[in-house]
Amino acid sequence: MIRHRWLLLLFRVIVGGVFIWAGALKIADPLDFAQSIKNYQVVSPTLALLIAIVLPWVEVLSGALLIIGVLKRSSALLISLLLIGFIGLVALALARGIDTSCGCFGSLSRRADLSLILTDAVLLVFSLSVFFARPTRRNH
Amino acid sequence: MSRQSEEAPGTKNLARGVLVIIAMSIVLGAAVHFPLLRRFAAGEFREGFFDARAYAGIRFITLAETEDLFAQRTQGTEGLLFIDSRGRDDFAAGHIPGALSVPLERIERSRKKAQGSVTLDFPGAQTLIVYCEGGDCQTSISLAKIIHDKGYKDIRIFAGGWAEWHAAGLPEERSQ
Repeated sequence: MIRHRWLLLLFRVIVGGVFIWAGALKIADPLDFAQSIKNYQVVSPTLALLIAIVLPWVEVLSGALLIIGVLKRSSALLISLLLIGFIGLVALALARGIDTSCGCFGSLSRRADLSLILTDAVLLVFSLSVFFARPTRRNH
Repeated sequence: MSRQSEEAPGTKNLARGVLVIIAMSIVLGAAVHFPLLRRFAAGEFREGFFDARAYAGIRFITLAETEDLFAQRTQGTEGLLFIDSRGRDDFAAGHIPGALSVPLERIERSRKKAQGSVTLDFPGAQTLIVYCEGGDCQTSISLAKIIHDKGYKDIRIFAGGWAEWHAAGLPEERSQ
């Protein structure tokens, strides 16, 4: 378990920053994101639109709260769950031979491939480190 | 105090925090994108998630309409161009005769390298019929949007795509 305060803060800023950025780009173009979700061929169009409308806000709010330290563990948990979901979705798309853009950064999205899974895995390690970190007061 | 009873309030707070974030997201999402939800409820975006107002030159066509356009092109009508947005291998294995291979993946890669700008020119073409694999494939829609942004204003998306064309036993062409 990582206990170094500054390292955990760095993790929070990195993960939170990435999620705020990713969410904001999607909020700016919900239809593009809905199309990206639909491209994975996992959910119905209705669900794709609902996810496209709600998920970016979950990303922005969790990212912001993770950085400022309010509801920190809840945010870290949500972000970890999202990352696990993203990794699963990309792996599924790869296994099914679906060639699509990940949809993760709006119009700046890259292809859903192995390198994306690795990036998400690194972010997952960071967010889980924050989630499992002991509160500072318990160290004293 | 036992360990279990120490953790219980933490778990409760954790779940409460998650619910608060999700609830706030639903409220914000619904408030900001309410017009979009209303348009969806009214029947928009059923074939593809693109703004029909922003892409007025794009429309979806059926197999019968595609066949009709193919017949017109075969009879010598100028200005009709079929565009296959699938990968090179799929195109080589079989495509609509006379179709041009424009794999979306390559276009997106080129756009990234050129920082958003890519040359897409189809000399003499006025009506572009874009198709991909069919079923739930979406590359035709993405490519149609890019072409539309390049100034082409009569783009038809054959949603049934190659799968429907092939299943109907219509003319095919293979390339190496």
